Amino acid sequence: MSNIVSTTAKDGSTVEFNYENPKSGAMKDVYFAPDKSYVVAFYKKQLDYAGLSRLEKLVGKYREQIFESEGGDYWKDIFCWPEKIVEYDGMTGIVVPAYQRHFFFEAQALQGEEKEGKWFASAKNYNRHVPEEERGALNTFLRVCLKLAQGVRRLHAAGLAHSDLSYKNCLIDPKSGSACIIDLDGLVVPGLFPPDVLGTPDFIAPEVMESLDLPKEKRVLPTRKTDQHALAVLIYQYLFHRHPLRGKKVWDPDDDKRQESLEMGKNALFIEHPTNRENAYDDRDPEEVNALAPWSLVNKLSYKSMGPELSELFERAFIDGLHNPDLRPTANEWEDALSMTADRFVKCNNPQCIGKGFIYNNAGHPACPYCGTRLNGPLPFLDFYVASPQGNFLREKNRRMVIWHGVRLYQWHADRYVVSNEKTKPEDKEAVAYCVFHNGAWNLVNVNLPDLKVVYENGNQVDRKIGIGQKVVLANGMQLILKSPPNGRAVTVGFTK
Amino acid sequence: MRRLPIYILLDVSGSMRGEPIEQVKYGLELLMKSLQRDPYAVETVWLSVITFALDARLLFPLAEITGLKIPPLPEPVTSPTNLGEALGFLMDRYALEVRPSTPEQKGDWRPILVLMTDGAPSDVGLYKQNVERLKRDFPFARVVCCAAGPKAKVEPLRSLADEISALDTMDAASFSQFWSWVSTSVSYAAQNRVANSQNEEEDEDDELPPPPPEIRIL
Repeated sequence: MSNIVSTTAKDGSTVEFNYENPKSGAMKDVYFAPDKSYVVAFYKKQLDYAGLSRLEKLVGKYREQIFESEGGDYWKDIFCWPEKIVEYDGMTGIVVPAYQRHFFFEAQALQGEEKEGKWFASAKNYNRHVPEEERGALNTFLRVCLKLAQGVRRLHAAGLAHSDLSYKNCLIDPKSGSACIIDLDGLVVPGLFPPDVLGTPDFIAPEVMESLDLPKEKRVLPTRKTDQHALAVLIYQYLFHRHPLRGKKVWDPDDDKRQESLEMGKNALFIEHPTNRENAYDDRDPEEVNALAPWSLVNKLSYKSMGPELSELFERAFIDGLHNPDLRPTANEWEDALSMTADRFVKCNNPQCIGKGFIYNNAGHPACPYCGTRLNGPLPFLDFYVASPQGNFLREKNRRMVIWHGVRLYQWHADRYVVSNEKTKPEDKEAVAYCVFHNGAWNLVNVNLPDLKVVYENGNQVDRKIGIGQKVVLANGMQLILKSPPNGRAVTVGFTK
Repeated sequence: MRRLPIYILLDVSGSMRGEPIEQVKYGLELLMKSLQRDPYAVETVWLSVITFALDARLLFPLAEITGLKIPPLPEPVTSPTNLGEALGFLMDRYALEVRPSTPEQKGDWRPILVLMTDGAPSDVGLYKQNVERLKRDFPFARVVCCAAGPKAKVEPLRSLADEISALDTMDAASFSQFWSWVSTSVSYAAQNRVANSQNEEEDEDDELPPPPPEIRIL
């Protein structure tokens, strides 16, 4: 049965939908297009003037600004952005693209359910309820977080704040490493459009939480800075499947509300705070620790296991910046740190490993923090250098790439001005070199690096060109120029223990 | 981990025979289904079912909902509807099972009580007394009453329940509303409180009127 209704959207286009069996949410009733390619979501409560003009900006100016600028198509996967406004039957609604297929569970008990982030954020759900083939791995979770950070960065760059980032408002697919920010109609523009909500528990910034009971004019409202807190919590939860602030500290045993308001607000304290252990992760129940492992083994799988770049940002987000919003990392910083961290990903040799790999952390003989398997080393790694205006090469802080069989180098490794994001040109998305372990040696194969040459090997300065299609055996201490200065990078080769 | 206990009190007295008990069985299935597909519920909810007629019986104690199969319900038998007795039994279970917070350790969230009955307790005196005791000493986050059958008498239940709904009009979505706020109960309530008060104030003095018509200078 269906009752297809056809109406004209405000932009003059025709919109059809099945005016039956809405999916009912808190704010909106959602009806599906006949071909299910989009939905029409009607507000349950009539919008006021400000609400309507926000929607108009959202489907108009803001959408054009983001989707019609350089790299606009990239955002179609990351935002589920309202496209049109419709008025029907006395109601106001928005036309929003349907979620992509990979954001629905395919198999088993959860078939057809949306991949709401909560399934993946909690250790219990992740270990027990997410089907194995949907679990993804550390590298795909890094990609999920990267997509989220990029989306949030794009909003912030446009002068917008999401205001209610949470695992409910981000669908993720760890299998493919995709993420999509939904429910964008609550966007906040400070001074122009105030927030509708104060956020979702678990994600509300401490300063907002703290001000809940103050008179209205003193309340802190969601902004870009509170988004930055929520983004940090999301990233921490997706990488560690535990909440960064929910530790064992009881602030008020008799009053749940007060407990929550202190735990997430005024007294919020990082569960991995290096000196103040008051709110450390509650690992007193061995059975529970076992069921939630490895995520419950905080000492083994601490925030520091994610390498120097992400560690620094976690410290800024949950130690320095927890109660000091100006110190919180920006979405852009997360983005940079996540992509640099991805270069340190090493596959784990244990096929049963839940992380499927880990971040190489400069430590002695590395072992996988998820399962304890030792790295089958030694593996080569590359440290990156950029040319200074004077022509000498300077080491780039923390930029290190671990080489494993099949790993690829891209233009953004060779050229300091190429980044991997929405602006990456199609030709820059092709690998420029790759590495293979062959005949007992690590070979770097040149696919498209016209300037590639070895400049130092066996203790001597050399000038050995490696042509396209040729290979070079990586040796400890070797120095190579990937691409000529001023844009190009040089690398030195080291080996893990 | 903090649990959210949900206690379900099921009336299996004689008056429940026929459609009412069938509605209850169907309602329970819906409830289980909506719980098992909700990531918040799956993480935190523990469930226990208590049936009552002449006396109260434990169908099963608090259990995790994953993999939980609800045993068959007893057939309704001709008997009084001793809801007062059942509340007493429930409070004993509460005292036994629900972990309170201590200064050292977080306890369970405040439980939810779902009562499915066609109304009118027979043990009126005990019922009144136990409602008072429950309200005083056994804090529930929410008490929901689902009225079963066309002849449900809900009036006496108002002193106990925060809300009463007719079982035959309920679907999975209406069940999920009972705990949609659960894992997040505390701050969501706080958030609502603020959001509401904000709206009220705005309705009074803060809402901007539409801009005046544009006046063209040139």
